[in-house]
Amino acid sequence: MAELMPPAGVQLAAVAWLRWRIFVNGLRTGKSGNRSAGGIVLAIGLRMLLWPIFAVWILGPVALSGYVGWSAIANDQPMWLLALMTGIGFLWQFIGVSGSNIAAAMPTFDPASLLRFPLPFGRYLLLRLFLGLLTPSTVVGCLALLAAAIGVGVARPALLPFAFAGFGLYALANVFCARMIGIWLDRVLARRRGREIFGGLFAIVVVSFQFVQFGRVRHVHVGHGGHVPGSQQQSWIIATAIRSAHAMHWLPPGFAADSVLHSASVAAVAGNLVLLALWTALFLAGFGVRLHRQFLGEYLSDSLAPAARRSTTARQARVRPLPQQQAMRSRFSLLPALLRKEWLTLRSNSGQLMGLLTPPIFVWIVSRGSFGSHPDYLLSGAVAYAILGPMSAAYNVFGPEGPGVQLYLLAPLRLRDVVLAKNIASVLILAAEAALAWVIAVSASKAAIAPATQAATALWLIFVLLANLTVGTVRSIQAPRKFAAGQSNQMRSAPTGRTSALLAVALVLGSLLLQIPVIRIGRHLHEPWLGVWVFGALALAGAAGYAMLLMNVDAMMLRNRDVLERELCGV
Amino acid sequence: MAPAIETAALTRRFGDFTAVRDVALRVEPGQFYGFLGPNGAGKSTTIKMLTGLLAPTSGTIRILGEDLTANSPALKQQIGVVPEGMALFGRLTAREYLRFVGRMYGLDRDTAGQRTEELLDFMSLAGEDRKLVTDFSHGMQKKLALAAAVIHGPRVLFLDEPFEGVDAVAAGTLKAMLQRMTARGVTIFLTSHVLEIVERLCTHIGIIHRGELVAQGSIEELRERAHGGAGELNGLRPLEEIFLEIVGTERDGSEAAHPPEELSWLS
Repeated sequence: MAELMPPAGVQLAAVAWLRWRIFVNGLRTGKSGNRSAGGIVLAIGLRMLLWPIFAVWILGPVALSGYVGWSAIANDQPMWLLALMTGIGFLWQFIGVSGSNIAAAMPTFDPASLLRFPLPFGRYLLLRLFLGLLTPSTVVGCLALLAAAIGVGVARPALLPFAFAGFGLYALANVFCARMIGIWLDRVLARRRGREIFGGLFAIVVVSFQFVQFGRVRHVHVGHGGHVPGSQQQSWIIATAIRSAHAMHWLPPGFAADSVLHSASVAAVAGNLVLLALWTALFLAGFGVRLHRQFLGEYLSDSLAPAARRSTTARQARVRPLPQQQAMRSRFSLLPALLRKEWLTLRSNSGQLMGLLTPPIFVWIVSRGSFGSHPDYLLSGAVAYAILGPMSAAYNVFGPEGPGVQLYLLAPLRLRDVVLAKNIASVLILAAEAALAWVIAVSASKAAIAPATQAATALWLIFVLLANLTVGTVRSIQAPRKFAAGQSNQMRSAPTGRTSALLAVALVLGSLLLQIPVIRIGRHLHEPWLGVWVFGALALAGAAGYAMLLMNVDAMMLRNRDVLERELCGV
Repeated sequence: MAPAIETAALTRRFGDFTAVRDVALRVEPGQFYGFLGPNGAGKSTTIKMLTGLLAPTSGTIRILGEDLTANSPALKQQIGVVPEGMALFGRLTAREYLRFVGRMYGLDRDTAGQRTEELLDFMSLAGEDRKLVTDFSHGMQKKLALAAAVIHGPRVLFLDEPFEGVDAVAAGTLKAMLQRMTARGVTIFLTSHVLEIVERLCTHIGIIHRGELVAQGSIEELRERAHGGAGELNGLRPLEEIFLEIVGTERDGSEAAHPPEELSWLS
């Protein structure tokens, strides 16, 4: 039988070609057909506006890594190189786990669908290692390690080959480690209970990390009771890291750093590289073990048992007669029914619910810092931050419905009611987030926030909500995207398309920046209520725009029903 | 000659729910085998196990005499599948998709290209060059999935609801193609809810109900079993009657489970 297997080169080339064609076809057309000229202009404009900001996020760590790499050698500070390797490795894995990798938003395919072809496990493993590798964490991590190697090389050229070898292997170890964590995480997140536990743990880790960063100690003991000069200002996490540095020498960051630092001895370099290679192999094995289970046909998702058990209950409920009067009345109470449906959807997604807790906690943490000394900007900044994350859901309100959107198009109901119910649900969530942030900001502010500032912020919030709901609803109808919540970043699609996500960020941040000139001009004119007038007018304009949208939304949905059907009900 | 498909005590559990229990299938080479059962009976789960996409909890599967678990990749080369969800790559054109599938099964570039053109023409998809698969109608996607399942010339073909959404003209052409394949020795394992199709195409039937194989054999054997072999007109009874007789008495849709006053508001 084995001699019937297709050659490896043919299959690997075929998959590479598949990935290329998917990329090319993604450029040629959107899934819903040719993009309009306006859509292309919008997409390009948003990217030109926001990508410089994102570029800073990439270039910043890369430049810093280069500098630290150079400085560690030039200033003879070996500990810095170890700290750099640890930091890069930690962020590489953390970003991957947190699901910030935008690769999930790229038009691609589920690699597990290749399982139906005659692929031996080795080839499948190879494909799974390299498909979808171009994530921000991988790109930034590799560039940062490259920059660090170049920094080391600039400081002492003789170390360059060792830096390339050690850091290159360390990059591979991180790639394999990220894959291993991702695939085991998929296993955990396949079940709802696992998602809930992981969501809770992740929120605790994120919040704890912030506390750790802000925690200060009065004394740091090093070795046998010694003190670090100026230790009163040092975070205890750094002190702990210094104390535990010796343990790090047995982990991949330590071997990567030591392969450069111990370059005087060939045996030491070889030993470090071999041990780093062993770690790399261990990560690969951890990935391979789980992948092999999938290869053999493991079923990851939830047990079917609850569905089977529910059928009896559903049947019992079905036989209850519905009085004619009640049936007629229900036609006029669509909004509560639709709102209830939104609530049930939210309630069943505990991960999303827990995610709503994170922004207010961050607002609280940030408000305690120096930002709390700027009462004019603290409130609006806090509110903007709190609503920024949940806002993206308003840009794809039909996405979680999937093929269920057909019910809205088929049922004798006004689509306006559906949109209104979804927007009310969004507003309730956003208002709750904003209210929490508001209370936190007001109570944490080091100076009282003037009533005029609070009134202006309230009107600004109304404007931002209405503007985002208007634009978000239009995007939800014109550029919907099928979205399954509660899956890990290797399995899920992004909650919105990239253009919609950028639009939400641009609207919230853009309107936030508008506050700066308004406050400055108000001060210059000695008119503290100027913001109220400006944002009051904008809120009115936003209300008018939203009302116009509601009046036209039925026609708009019917005009775009082919897009909705194709995107949400298609392949 | 070894059976084309043979299972023993095939079982699949999801948590505490048993989707397939102790199924013992036997399909001979060249048979057109219809696998029937009510919704949720375990048909698709069985097909997924037979094609290596889902691991059985216990039991064995032999395809063309070889153990599927031990020889999964090599056996996949010998089988073609139209799975439940079709598993197409929506962002390719039909031509690109078929060429890709051909290459994945090891066809050389020229053969893959030539068969692609033939299949596109046969399936009346040749004129859909500019369209992505995602923009195809459901019927067109089914035809494409079927084309992809046969491009490498499989010896065993698994079809999960292959005619769903396919127009009558195309369905006729496809049926003729499938019958030609069985005449050349290809084994076809088909599930469908349209019993007329199964009756017209299949020589042998297996019926699964609540995860258990409750009947298996030629249509004539099932007719005999359903009516105890009695009655002159037994040989003329349609498959639907036989099917309902075998599984219908236990089904929720029976008269006793649904008294006439239920759903009385339906006009």
